[in-house]
Amino acid sequence: MGNSDAASPASAAAARDAKKKRGNRSAAKLKQSKRETRRGQFLSKGQGNDGNDAKVATSPTGAGSNAGSPILASPHPPLPRRRVDSRSRGSDPEDREEAGAAGLEVDGSGLDSPGSDKSQGGDCHQRKGFSGNGGGRSLSSGSSVWSSSRSVSDAEEDTGGPEDESEVFDDWEMAADALYIDDSSCNQSSGPTPTPPPALTTAAPAHAARPEPIRSKTRAWAPDDIFRPQSLPSISKQASFPASIGNRWPEMGMSAAQQGILSLPLSCPICCDDLDPTDSSFCPCPCGFHMCLFCHNRIKLEDGRCPGCRKQYNTVSAAEGVGGGGGAKAAVGTGREMEKRLSRSCSMGPSY
Amino acid sequence: MQASRARLFKEYKEVQREKSADPDIQLICDDSNIFKWTALIKGPSETPYEGGVFQLAFAIPEQYPLLPPQVRFLTKIFHPNVHFKTGEICLDILKNAWSPAWTLQSVCRAIIALMAHPEPDSPLNCDSGNLLRSGDIRGYQSMARMYTRLAAMPKKG
Repeated sequence: MGNSDAASPASAAAARDAKKKRGNRSAAKLKQSKRETRRGQFLSKGQGNDGNDAKVATSPTGAGSNAGSPILASPHPPLPRRRVDSRSRGSDPEDREEAGAAGLEVDGSGLDSPGSDKSQGGDCHQRKGFSGNGGGRSLSSGSSVWSSSRSVSDAEEDTGGPEDESEVFDDWEMAADALYIDDSSCNQSSGPTPTPPPALTTAAPAHAARPEPIRSKTRAWAPDDIFRPQSLPSISKQASFPASIGNRWPEMGMSAAQQGILSLPLSCPICCDDLDPTDSSFCPCPCGFHMCLFCHNRIKLEDGRCPGCRKQYNTVSAAEGVGGGGGAKAAVGTGREMEKRLSRSCSMGPSY
Repeated sequence: MQASRARLFKEYKEVQREKSADPDIQLICDDSNIFKWTALIKGPSETPYEGGVFQLAFAIPEQYPLLPPQVRFLTKIFHPNVHFKTGEICLDILKNAWSPAWTLQSVCRAIIALMAHPEPDSPLNCDSGNLLRSGDIRGYQSMARMYTRLAAMPKKG
């Protein structure tokens, strides 16, 4: 582990350099997942006491299946070997015996790792999980990138010794970073999880969201983009408002009615006169139906139901304006009057 | 200018602007009187009124957005909620459920919906209502189809 500790800061720094464009958030995320990687490694090491041997033995099986990196025992991936076997079976007996012997040897060496796998139950499980995820990642990074990722893993075999796994993972990070940058520069079609694999469970949802801002670097912000900075001028008020601010309504404790203010019609839907600011801020009904004060007054005199939801204003409205005052009061009963007074007492100042 | 006039004028402009928006509805304002409108609506598909074009007459009160327009069928139609002789329509939104937020266009849509979903429990046309209430769907449909063909389809030849 000392080796890895020495290596990781440097690689982390390099990775950070590469990531500068992406901004702090993603860097922090990556850092966190890196930490988790290390924790997972530490845990797995704690489980299997005869650490290095097991790792060495198991890593080819795990990594060989997906990254094609047979490191120790077998010089070739299992598939070609079998082909040799079947071919030799077709030939004459001597060759066949030889080949059989060779096959036995090969088989023995091949069996080596599964045996050690079994002995190292828990540990190997975790290892497999790691490398499996790593392979999955390189696979998921798209067909266009596959070849490059392949070469990267090859280089990794050459340079990085199999006995130091953490370094392998750090390399993976860097490789993934490089891939990621390539990706973001050309196309972002892949389901990109550039961070180390063990963090999948925690970091996955974040990753799902992360490609958004990077993708939108190449494009203009969509008006309903969540990541669109609010400082940008709104393209069209009605389209952009609900998207950029809508998410935060619940936090701000706004009711549906007050939301409606922002998606204002420009003219009164009843009389088709333009709405002035007073009218715009006037929201007589929680259903969010807007109209001018004149129409509201007239409606209250006539039948007193909201045009939007057909509910009686006096029963539904808490934030009723003072506008309808005198005339309506004569018409309504005492109960309503009480309510009205109540609502007037708690109707807020800002609108008037 | 009266609010009703302004509102109707706005609706008129809306109708002119979105003429092709709803191909089932054609609203025409009277040349000399903005309070008189006629509408042509197509019978909804998969109903006995399919293929027919029905003419509606709108008479709009002075207090229009606050009071509903008076609508009646000019074309004969065999429907439980339409008076067979006068063309009067029994529809809640034209009476007590009216809301000033509705427009002539939305009234037309509501009438099309009523054609597709007759309400035999408050009939203006008792014959039609009784047929439906007694479960004689086929009888109602054939009657309605016959009248659609007689009254709402252009004469051939």
